[in-house]
Amino acid sequence: MTRKIQKIGRRTVVVSGLAVMAAAALGAGASAQDAGLGTAEHPVEIRVSANESFANQMQTLVVPEFNKVYPNIKVTVDSVPFVEYLAKAMLDITSPSPLYDVAIVDEKWVPQLASTGGLADLKSGDIAAWTDVGYDWDDFYQAALSSGEWSGVQYGVPLRSNLLLMFYNKTLFEKAGLPAPTPELTWTEYLEQLPKLVQDTNGDGQVDAWGIDTYFIREPNTPAIWQAILSGNGGRFFDENAQPAFNNEAGISALETHKKLLDYAPPGALSHGFTESLQAFRQGQVATLFNWVSVYKGTAIDAATTTLKPEEVGVQALPVGSVSGGTYRGVWNGTVPANSQNKQAAWAFLQWLSSKEGEQFYANELGIAPARQSTLNSTPKYDWLVPVFTAMRQGFEVAAQGEMWTLRHPRSDAALQVITDETARALANEIPVAEALQIAADRIPEALQ
Amino acid sequence: MTTAVKSFRWGRTIRIWVGALACLTFLFPIIWMVLTSFKQQTDIFTSPPTFIFAPTLIHYLEGIRPAEVPHRLLNTVIVAVGSGLLSVVAGAMAGYALARIKIRGAGTIGVLMLLSRGVPPVALAVPMFLVARKLGLTDKHITLILAYCTFLIPYVMWLMRGFFLALPKELEEAAMIDGCSRLGAFFRIIVPISLPALLSTLIASMILAWEELLFALVLTNRNASTIPIAMAGIAQDTVNGANWGALTAVGTITVVPVVVFALLVQKWLIQGMADGATKG
Amino acid sequence: MTTETTTYRERRVRSLAFARIGDFASRWTFMLPAAIIMIAMLAYPISYMTQISFSRFDLMTFSPGEWVGWDNYAKVLADYRFWSSLRVTAVYLVFALPLQIILGFGIAYLIHAEWRGRGLIRGLFIIPMVVAPVVAGGIWRMMLDPLWGIANYFLGFFGIGPFDWFGDPNLAMASVVIIDTWRWTPFIVLIASAALLSLPRDVFEAAEIDGANWWQMLCYIALPLLAPIIAATFVVRWLGAVKMFDIVLSATLGGPGAATKVINLFIYEEAFRSLRFAESSAMAVLVLVGTTILTGIFLWGSRRLENEP
Repeated sequence: MTRKIQKIGRRTVVVSGLAVMAAAALGAGASAQDAGLGTAEHPVEIRVSANESFANQMQTLVVPEFNKVYPNIKVTVDSVPFVEYLAKAMLDITSPSPLYDVAIVDEKWVPQLASTGGLADLKSGDIAAWTDVGYDWDDFYQAALSSGEWSGVQYGVPLRSNLLLMFYNKTLFEKAGLPAPTPELTWTEYLEQLPKLVQDTNGDGQVDAWGIDTYFIREPNTPAIWQAILSGNGGRFFDENAQPAFNNEAGISALETHKKLLDYAPPGALSHGFTESLQAFRQGQVATLFNWVSVYKGTAIDAATTTLKPEEVGVQALPVGSVSGGTYRGVWNGTVPANSQNKQAAWAFLQWLSSKEGEQFYANELGIAPARQSTLNSTPKYDWLVPVFTAMRQGFEVAAQGEMWTLRHPRSDAALQVITDETARALANEIPVAEALQIAADRIPEALQ
Repeated sequence: MTTAVKSFRWGRTIRIWVGALACLTFLFPIIWMVLTSFKQQTDIFTSPPTFIFAPTLIHYLEGIRPAEVPHRLLNTVIVAVGSGLLSVVAGAMAGYALARIKIRGAGTIGVLMLLSRGVPPVALAVPMFLVARKLGLTDKHITLILAYCTFLIPYVMWLMRGFFLALPKELEEAAMIDGCSRLGAFFRIIVPISLPALLSTLIASMILAWEELLFALVLTNRNASTIPIAMAGIAQDTVNGANWGALTAVGTITVVPVVVFALLVQKWLIQGMADGATKG
Repeated sequence: MTTETTTYRERRVRSLAFARIGDFASRWTFMLPAAIIMIAMLAYPISYMTQISFSRFDLMTFSPGEWVGWDNYAKVLADYRFWSSLRVTAVYLVFALPLQIILGFGIAYLIHAEWRGRGLIRGLFIIPMVVAPVVAGGIWRMMLDPLWGIANYFLGFFGIGPFDWFGDPNLAMASVVIIDTWRWTPFIVLIASAALLSLPRDVFEAAEIDGANWWQMLCYIALPLLAPIIAATFVVRWLGAVKMFDIVLSATLGGPGAATKVINLFIYEEAFRSLRFAESSAMAVLVLVGTTILTGIFLWGSRRLENEP
């Protein structure tokens, strides 16, 4: 490390006082004894970084429940907005003394964070020794657990498992004289139905309901839609060597299909993403919606946020392609920074959260999507969870079959950004679909370097 | 002469009306924001948009609770006031030096400082964080205040230089003959007559600090976390989608203190003008 | 004040020297606070940025790794996205900057009349600035949406539209210019109002007595007197506008396609999303160089304006 500093020093273009101070302070902080689980006199404090959308819920509802079991572990949950989360997490875990003992991270960041050596292996060493005998790793859906794995090492446990699913409005299907979708609905059938779902429901001569709304805007989640279509047709986004596998007929047809959906989407849909498509569906303006399972409660149940009735809303995997239905996995993983000084307490927290009991608690009481077979096969406490559990079981199965998730690579976000750029240009008709895929495929190897 | 005065009066009335109309146009999105903050989620996205709805306080009472508004609002006030005052004092002095005092090399320094505004903030945030971490200064108000000064000082300096250039030179010359030091002349003569400009740049600096997101995100975690971070969090909710009710409610809450402050300053300023205290 | 042993000559020399040092110090006192803060806060970040733009970025330590010379620059310059986002930025600046300056000074001049409501108007006018970009961009996104937006609904009464504001590349750019102008015109009004307040009133009074109408007073008195401040405002606003990406990030996300992807959004995405800090720093340096050249031209122009009267 010292040598590196000297090298930096020689190259410094402008040497400033602060630079010298910063360099002098580098290399501080050696790992000390782990603080254990705490005692009544000396409670141990752990800090958790979580996405802003659930940090508060975790702090106010989950932590008190955890403290019933571990009263001597004080948990503080800090919130970080999504877009800057990766950079912040990266800065923190690469520090010799990270601020956070638990980092709850999106699955696509696990390889990126793990490859810096900043994350602890959850299945070996001390952490394995601190794991309860009854902690059942095999109970997780493989499609969920694999999201926390990188090059054969388990760095994360699934805490919130999101799946891209198809929501449908039964009333609008009925008005169009169409049968409500079933899990067997194929893309061919669906594309035939879509024109009929663009309809005038109140007879005033103006179209007021459309077929579909989902991600079309220029953002990193948008390629997930045509990836899900591609996967359902048995195609792959990337091969085992992380080389682009989408630059072929199957890929072109998947992105063409995604683009074709725009013809049956409401005006302005090209700038619609997560929130806008969701609101259009909740207003009863679109018959189908491809969105995340986490929005189910606010879409079908909660009268404060939706105009739809529970019995109007159906949910299942995306239509069936030549091989299977489509979905896309998005799992938030609990990880422990390798340099944390409270690893035992941190793991106790994560272990409890992802245990059978922990999942039962937050799946039933908070409606957070679980990842364990025992949870998804159990009878939920509330009736509205039944269709969610059913759809999730279907989702996890097809996800595992078609590996329907993001590229697993230490530079995955850079590759995803390239795909996002070109997908956006193709959807906006700036360049033909085939050209967009060609450019993306050409650029990705450089992005992954 | 009377007709000239009359036509001037007419011009005045038209001017006022056109100005007020422009103001109203600019305020429309704000009115829409405030209205939205009192709507149920289901009323926000109706088509066509609705003006008549059953108002609700749910976003103020519950929606914004996760955003820890009071704590973050206090931080935002501390940081905005701190960086605003510091940058106006330092920036105005530097602007005065550039406009009125001949110092060899100061012009170059001034232009360099101005140009530093051209550096994309994205490139500065990470190294600033690295230094702050080495010095144990992350998540502290002072770090954010100093970081904000880097983009506020050049702007204050350059604007105030423009204002000072427009002042008659005889003012401080007279003061210095009267035995004032340079600093004394600046604070006793120049500052009082430049109050409108100083206060306007102060208000603008505070607002720029008030809404800054990038440095705040990188340099703070919890203790010094500011309101824009809360807003970004609500807007980027990856679980339920953006809660527009809560977002507009936070927006409305943050607008109120600044507007009250600005109105007070304006009132005081115009009072001062009427009393002739700032008449050149 | 002086001791008896010192001669008149010695005293004179010494006090002159002191006076010179004192004078030097008092001159620099004005420049120092700003200079110290700026150097302390920026010297390291700017040198860091320059270094990593010439290096392979080491994500493990967040420090510059192996020296690669101009590689990152070559990569950036060969990237079509860099050039296309520069083009987008130029279009945005060409429309937004003049619009904001003219509207800002125009409105400030309009409401610069002595009447009771002007304090209120000025106070209310700053509100668009106060709303953070995330919310501002979002409100406009809501208002301009063809499905539930008030803009198309309102324009519909006049038989105009409907427009797909964020779906059409040109309209999307227009939307960004509108939103940015909405946010920043108040800033210019604020500065311009202060400038108008500090103008010597007797000149206007004399002109009024001489029978000048307000248009003549604007062209022949106000504008020439305001020239240095207009120039300063333009330079300050230009340097702010070059960095704009927050509005785009919250309103269009750079779309449709890449129609509103300004250079700073690209730099931001490369750094914070793709973690390509080396390339992003190289772009930042290039942007800084470009900005410096253009600012130099503007300063040269504004100096001529200042020297004219």
